[in-house]
Amino acid sequence: MQHAAVLEELGREIAESSVFLDRAAEQISSCIIGQKEVVRRVFIALLAGGHILLEGVPGLAKTLIVRSFAASMNLQFRRIQFTPDMLPADLVGTMVYNPRDMEFHPRQGPVFANVILADEINRSPAKVQSALLEAMQEKQVTIGSATFPLPSPFMVLATQNPIEHEGTYLLPEAQVDRFMMKVIVDYPNYEEELEIMLLASASPPLAEIRPVVEPGDIARARSLIDRIYVDSRVQRYIVDLVVATRNPAAYGLQKLETMIEYGASPRASIFLLLAAKAHAFLQHRAYITPEDVKSLAFDTLRHRIIPGYEAEADNISTDDFIRDILQHVQVP
Amino acid sequence: MRGVIERLRNTARCIVPLILAFLSIAVTPHVRAAQPTVTVRVSPDSLYAGERIVCIADIQHPRGTAVAVELPDSAALSPFMLIGRKQSSKPLSASAAEERVEMEFAVFGSGSQRLPPLTLVFFDSRGRISGREEFRPAAVFVKTFTPQEMLELRPLKPPTAPGFPFMLFLPVLLGIFGFAAAVLLVLFFVKRRVRLFSEAVDPAQVASRKLRRLDTRLSSGMLPSECYAELSTIMREYLERHYHIPALEAVTPEIERDLRKLGISSFEAIMSLLRQADLVKFADSRPTAEESRNSIRQAGEIVRSPGNGGG
Repeated sequence: MQHAAVLEELGREIAESSVFLDRAAEQISSCIIGQKEVVRRVFIALLAGGHILLEGVPGLAKTLIVRSFAASMNLQFRRIQFTPDMLPADLVGTMVYNPRDMEFHPRQGPVFANVILADEINRSPAKVQSALLEAMQEKQVTIGSATFPLPSPFMVLATQNPIEHEGTYLLPEAQVDRFMMKVIVDYPNYEEELEIMLLASASPPLAEIRPVVEPGDIARARSLIDRIYVDSRVQRYIVDLVVATRNPAAYGLQKLETMIEYGASPRASIFLLLAAKAHAFLQHRAYITPEDVKSLAFDTLRHRIIPGYEAEADNISTDDFIRDILQHVQVP
Repeated sequence: MRGVIERLRNTARCIVPLILAFLSIAVTPHVRAAQPTVTVRVSPDSLYAGERIVCIADIQHPRGTAVAVELPDSAALSPFMLIGRKQSSKPLSASAAEERVEMEFAVFGSGSQRLPPLTLVFFDSRGRISGREEFRPAAVFVKTFTPQEMLELRPLKPPTAPGFPFMLFLPVLLGIFGFAAAVLLVLFFVKRRVRLFSEAVDPAQVASRKLRRLDTRLSSGMLPSECYAELSTIMREYLERHYHIPALEAVTPEIERDLRKLGISSFEAIMSLLRQADLVKFADSRPTAEESRNSIRQAGEIVRSPGNGGG
């Protein structure tokens, strides 16, 4: 069988270029036990230029994952602890008066970094959360009348706790939609827990992590990802999945018609495609398959579907919707 | 002198009767009051048959006595029919009272009709019958309707058109509904039978037939890449129906996982075919017609192999 020469060549390049991710994964795994899928999603978001919202109960190493990830990259990392008394200026920066020249000068906030850890993002009010909108979507920040581009790569890794409601603020839909993926961080299994316990009691885990990824590696990977082949069948499959969240009856899912209040936005299709390409890159492939799409459908769609009151009353989650949709939409 | 006396005597003879006559006149009301007087009025005096007349009898009698009106029985009243009667009394003076009896009759027949006689029964102060007196009221004239008068009184309605005879069409409607129901029933059974039949058909046979058709189309110029896409669909349908796994909605690794659990003999061959098809579909691989034909042949062998339940 004659394979497309371009894709064969691209495949070889990808295999060579993606080595840096293996190195980073190795570094991270030295202090993070388990959570390999979460780490993989973080890599995907980094390669696809997206942002990630990590959701999990306290103590699941959400923050540690992000810190380890940032430590393995030779990138500028800032951690912002979101608190109820924060102001947008604390995040993006503000105009500061300089008595020497008697003028206001912009002072850039902590958002000017490559990797931002927005820890417990839902502890700040919506106005602070919304200050990230421009940064996340347009990779720039406006302070006063001046607009400043953010460093490249720019990535926001936000964490939130789903069980605490006291003193928290729900993320606005526009804000949530800007996250490429919402990753649920689950409990480790028994063996992992045992290993975590021994590791955490032995030495500080972050001390061993060395930066093994350069910004150039990421830029090169991104340029290769742009060239990854996407067949029209896969493109249609992505759109089918997203449209099925808006019009489930058209895909034989009449029962979801009243359960879903709002389906996923077109941003879901864009991010699902970008994430699938990054996933293919991680698999050292020069083309994407429906498997890439399917494996990322939950993380890419779950925060973009708004369940109706019937679903909430029946305790049906958006993951259940996505599972139904994946089981009904025919794979090409 | 004697003459004067005689003249005075004569004058007195003339005056005394006059005085007596005057006194008799002056005392008469009291005397009359002591005797009952009866007045009977009937109105109207002319009417159409079926209409009603009112007969009022006013009886003045001394106070302390009573009066009643007796009527003959209904047969004797004919052509009059008593509808109702009302009696009231009121004092006229210290010694007299008036009794009023109002009777309403329906009148039938035609021509001049006389009311039956009324019998007044007088009772003294002790309640004993003191006397009876019969009065015959005036006659009334009963008119009859001519046909013209009948029409003027109640004009005839024009004849109305008869309504649509729905009842006549009821059997037809029932027949149509019955026929439709029978057709639907037949369709239901036919569809059910077709479904059962299609379920009963061996998936391997279906797949084999589709593969033969695909081979024919490939020979007649079908693009090998399209051939692989269709081959993949045929194999997935076969796997879904034969092994009852959701192969059409599953990606290749998921099918691999499910088949591995089943432990079928041609696992490697199936997976090899599906992976090849994936390369053609998603990795822009370009197989030759011969490679496509080989894959179709290989797929045919898989579905016909005894280990897979094929025939």
